[in-house]
Amino acid sequence: MKMDFEPASETDAADIVRHAAETGTPLAIAGGGTRSGLGNRVQAEQFLSTRKLTGIVSYNPAEMTMSAKAGTPMAEIEAVLAENRQMLAFEPMDHRGVMGTRGEPTIGGVFAANVSGPRRITAGAARDHLLGIRFVNGVGETIKSGGRVMKNVTGLDLVKLLCGSHGTLGLLTEVTFKVLPLPPSAMTIVVFGLDDAQAAAAMAHALALPVEVSGAAHLPDSVRYRFIGSSQPEGAATVLRLEGLAASVAVRAEKLKATFASVAPIAILDHKATETLWRDIRDIKPYADGTQKPLWRVSVAPSAGQQLVAALRLEAGVDAFYDWQGGLIWLRMEADAEADLLRRYIKGLGGGHATLLRAADAVRAVTPAFEPEQPAVAALSARLKEKFDPKGVFNPGKMG
Amino acid sequence: MQTTFTPAQLADPHVAESEAILRKCVHCGFCTATCPTYVTLGNELDSPRGRIYLIKDMLENGRPADEEVVTHIDRCLSCLACMTTCPSGVNYMHLVDHARVHIEQTYRRPLKDRLVRAVLAAVLPYPSRFRLALKAARLGRPLAGFMKRVPFLKTFGVMLDLAPSQIASASAAAVPGIRAAEIEKRGRVAILTGCAQPVLKPGINEATIRLLTRLGVEVVVPQGEGCCGALVHHMGREEQALVAARRNVDVWIRAADEGGLDAIIITASGCGTTIKDYGHMLRLDPAYADKAARVSALARDITEYLATLDLPRQEARNITVAYHSACSMQHGQKITLAPKVLLKNAGFTVRDPAEGHLCCGSAGTYNILQPEISATLKARKVRNIEATKADIIATGNIGCITQIATGTAMPILHTVELLDWAYGGEKPALPQK
Amino acid sequence: MPETIAFLEPKQSVLARRDAIIEDLADLLPEGCLISEKRGLVPFETDAFIAYRQVPLAVALPETTAQVAAVLKYCSRYGIPVVPRGAGTSLSGGAIPQSDAVVIGLSKMSRILDIDFANRTATVQAGVTNLNISEAVSADGFFYAPDPSSQLACTIGGNIGMNSGGAHCLKYGVTTNNLLGVKMVLFDGTIVDLGGKALDAPAYDLLGLVCGSEGQLGIVTEATVRLIAKPEGTRPVLFGFMSSEEAGSCVAEVIGSGIIPVAIEFMDKPAIGICEAFAQAGYPMDVEALLIVEVEGSEAEMEAMLASIIDIARRHGVSTIRESQSATEAALIWKGRKSAFGATGRIADYICMDGTVPLSQLSYVLKKTGEIIDGYGLRVANVFHAGDGNMHPLILYNINDPEDAARAEAAGNDILRLCVDAGGCLTGEHGVGIEKRDLMLHQFTQVDLNQQMAARAAFDPQWIMNPSKVFPLEGRPAA
Repeated sequence: MKMDFEPASETDAADIVRHAAETGTPLAIAGGGTRSGLGNRVQAEQFLSTRKLTGIVSYNPAEMTMSAKAGTPMAEIEAVLAENRQMLAFEPMDHRGVMGTRGEPTIGGVFAANVSGPRRITAGAARDHLLGIRFVNGVGETIKSGGRVMKNVTGLDLVKLLCGSHGTLGLLTEVTFKVLPLPPSAMTIVVFGLDDAQAAAAMAHALALPVEVSGAAHLPDSVRYRFIGSSQPEGAATVLRLEGLAASVAVRAEKLKATFASVAPIAILDHKATETLWRDIRDIKPYADGTQKPLWRVSVAPSAGQQLVAALRLEAGVDAFYDWQGGLIWLRMEADAEADLLRRYIKGLGGGHATLLRAADAVRAVTPAFEPEQPAVAALSARLKEKFDPKGVFNPGKMG
Repeated sequence: MQTTFTPAQLADPHVAESEAILRKCVHCGFCTATCPTYVTLGNELDSPRGRIYLIKDMLENGRPADEEVVTHIDRCLSCLACMTTCPSGVNYMHLVDHARVHIEQTYRRPLKDRLVRAVLAAVLPYPSRFRLALKAARLGRPLAGFMKRVPFLKTFGVMLDLAPSQIASASAAAVPGIRAAEIEKRGRVAILTGCAQPVLKPGINEATIRLLTRLGVEVVVPQGEGCCGALVHHMGREEQALVAARRNVDVWIRAADEGGLDAIIITASGCGTTIKDYGHMLRLDPAYADKAARVSALARDITEYLATLDLPRQEARNITVAYHSACSMQHGQKITLAPKVLLKNAGFTVRDPAEGHLCCGSAGTYNILQPEISATLKARKVRNIEATKADIIATGNIGCITQIATGTAMPILHTVELLDWAYGGEKPALPQK
Repeated sequence: MPETIAFLEPKQSVLARRDAIIEDLADLLPEGCLISEKRGLVPFETDAFIAYRQVPLAVALPETTAQVAAVLKYCSRYGIPVVPRGAGTSLSGGAIPQSDAVVIGLSKMSRILDIDFANRTATVQAGVTNLNISEAVSADGFFYAPDPSSQLACTIGGNIGMNSGGAHCLKYGVTTNNLLGVKMVLFDGTIVDLGGKALDAPAYDLLGLVCGSEGQLGIVTEATVRLIAKPEGTRPVLFGFMSSEEAGSCVAEVIGSGIIPVAIEFMDKPAIGICEAFAQAGYPMDVEALLIVEVEGSEAEMEAMLASIIDIARRHGVSTIRESQSATEAALIWKGRKSAFGATGRIADYICMDGTVPLSQLSYVLKKTGEIIDGYGLRVANVFHAGDGNMHPLILYNINDPEDAARAEAAGNDILRLCVDAGGCLTGEHGVGIEKRDLMLHQFTQVDLNQQMAARAAFDPQWIMNPSKVFPLEGRPAA
């Protein structure tokens, strides 16, 4: 992607934004551009990237915090953390496979899009790990919010607001986040042959047990072989991850096995296989298929997930698998995006939301990527946008 | 908490004491959570913290009590759950006592309230009058429904409802004298006969005397003893309460001086809380301060005393008991484990109802004076007790027994009645389900 | 000597209409839900930050969201300030009224509306206490994780207002990490729903912004929170040290080693004495500093974790190690710790600081805190969440002595500045309230605050919601 602006310092970034505000020039802003396709089409002619704003500013493993410039590549951060046996516990997914993009994902992009993976059910989302930010607002002022300590309620939490705002409220220049020790051991219990409804019940049961399941996904028959080879028992795979001290993981695994052994065939995946499996789930491997088939990310109450998919199957060609105990559905439509149908069913099942992750340009042009908000909430969002970016400089149109 | 009393105000020892109590409160609000009236009404003015503030404001300004303050103080059950909860050690009991006296001295209640209170104060503390009143009430019961619909008569209608349908005649257990130990004597105690309890459930003290003498304890029923004064004390009728206290102090000191006393046994925890406070109530009376302190130090709930006797463990019997801890037991006297340990050792399976810290709504005359709140609390208590699916309810206070019995078909007994049975006594008569 | 903290000037136009306002409010609320007589208003003049007080104009105690909306709609129409109140346990004065304000208390809205074990959520009215939620789901093996020390009394609405933390947040996170949705009334009476039972929400994270907004963005009337399966077992262990520095460096090494216990609490000698006096938990009285370290999980897991922690503690010269032997003992250990602030009332009045510092600065800040306190001739008791650097020096003083009170306030301000200068923040979990408002510019620039105030104005353009709090009175946008 050609970039018009690639500031190498926060001051430069602020100058560019201030100038854009003064001249009424909308900017499409990005990090490495690997997730730029998220959201609606941006109505801007000029492009700004943070990818030259790089470098880890501070990292104190004993304090479990790191600060980095927004454009720092994820690869660099993950490598440094791995050296210290630490990690980003929220397991941000890599969108390149599924979105067919290239380039280097950046830490700023991860937080701007609030990208969270399977450990969401216990460790929280990206927004739960972001402690502090520096950003440039829509008139070119540099703002800080939060800090570098674990607990901080000083003032309004702009950190949360900016996280997941897809660069529409401010240009992140620096982020400070929590890092956690890598679990010394991990294991996955696979329960085979459950249908979606049985799997939902099984996952709910597992999460109600005192065994600290740190990942719970259901991979129906249609996708299962992309994750787990045919040497294992047949049928859908419901996968439950355990992490921690080796002795403890073993004890907890026995408990889970005892719970499900009488119900269905089960298998155990070791640490290595566990890492591969959950990375594949995180990155939506089956749908990294090189196509433009509409791909939805649906978030509902876990118990509603399989009901939603069952209802949709009666009316449209869909393929789906579930993460977050069934509450996060990756939904690939075989033909039309079916936004209205999908959103109507979500409403009927107690609420939630669907985000269009990928589709052909023509489909995206007529399909709002984000779930439409309640009018009063939409009004609040619009007022907030106006307060952060009064001139409409940042990513106009992206969030509707 | 900040206070603004003048040196002149603080010259009054009652005010000085209240100031010291107020100074300990840091307004943390913990007390609100366990206060039955706050939990029921959701208004801070009906919580300990709110009342403390109302009292502080009234006393600091040296103001007579007014309707607003009286309404919220009157709603206080004096269950003292707040004192169990309070981390700061605020003596709410003595503060609210002071407030009640102040109200009684400075506030003129509406005629109906005055009448009701006068009747209660003139009847309840006197067993013979109370027995007579109950008999009259039995005749009057058909009128209860009508009376409750007439605002002025409502309280009297409530009273009729609470009166039991059968009234026992005066109990032999109340006759003064000495009951000798049946085996080798290992202790000597006096027992409080009390006022309302021997009329409503004479079986309690009968069981107590049977059990104690069987265990080798000589029991004295002293001549001249009467109501402990708690009923009028909680109405702010301080002089009447102190008269009762002085009379009992005299009686017990005489009994102690004659043959020695290991304890003064009390079988109604409401009375126990007050008798244990005699030392404080009479602290400003030079003639009585020491004697009263001695009496308070001797006062024991029956379960507290039994716990010192090291009773043998009995075989398990297939009976589950829901133990209801009276507020005066758990909060007033901080006796929480002894009754349950005794029941368990006696072979019963003991269950704790949920929300055990909440009052049942009896609270002395509260169920008569505040019938709506009392009824709500009773229903909540009964719900929690029935959820235990126990066979019997046991408790250590006559007020709770009367209150809870009107809300459930489960049988309810005094703890000591079950213990008497377990240690060789007759099976207590259970009210029919 | 510092200036005392100012409230906003009361609006004369509101005060002048007092009687009319009360009459109108009475029409909007059921009987028994409006307090308007002076006598009844005085007890609402403060919360747990008792150094400051103001009697409100009226107190509304609505029973439904619709009534909250009606009162807010009315107040916004006439520009009447509104101060939300849960249980009034704020340590930063978040619920202290102002003389021209209507307090909206949520204490009558205390019903649990829905418990959904399949999705592990509870939906409750805002006036439900924090502990009530855990109690309601405990028999089924669940709990609600954030556990502020006042959890017995404080309400979930107040927890959301302050983004409350607690001892067990080291592992489970604070309120914002455990909150899924709210029903909330905006300044003009509009009712909005944010979030729900799904784990994340679309578009802007308004829920994240609302959580910790100290009642300035609206009034939360219902909340949906996450429930967590109770661990198989939990065990608090007491570690006594002969110096605070040793205890502090032990904490840093435990965390640095990659072990994250559920809780690491610190108490110094004065705090131990205070807590023991109330709870009789069996704290060692012969040590200078005490750590309560709680581990949880299966027996094997607790043993393994404890072995590593004990190893580290030994290297830092631990003098006493005591494992709780029963659930009753464990409960007493926590009862003592959680009652620490209130129990301080036994010996003195106090103000409680809440600064958070990076773990590496813990020992330094403890030492400097002692020096600051000595400099003012005051006494301090330290009791705090060491695992996440959230310090709670309790400055002891005599509130009846104005000079002592001024010294305590000045010392507190110095300590908070110290926390910020050490790389931390003014408040980790109690909120800015009125207490720390005037220190905000020590942590933020005016430009930072302007952006926060702009966000605030998107929700409450009239600035009627809890307006004396959080933001310094100078530098606010013109109304």
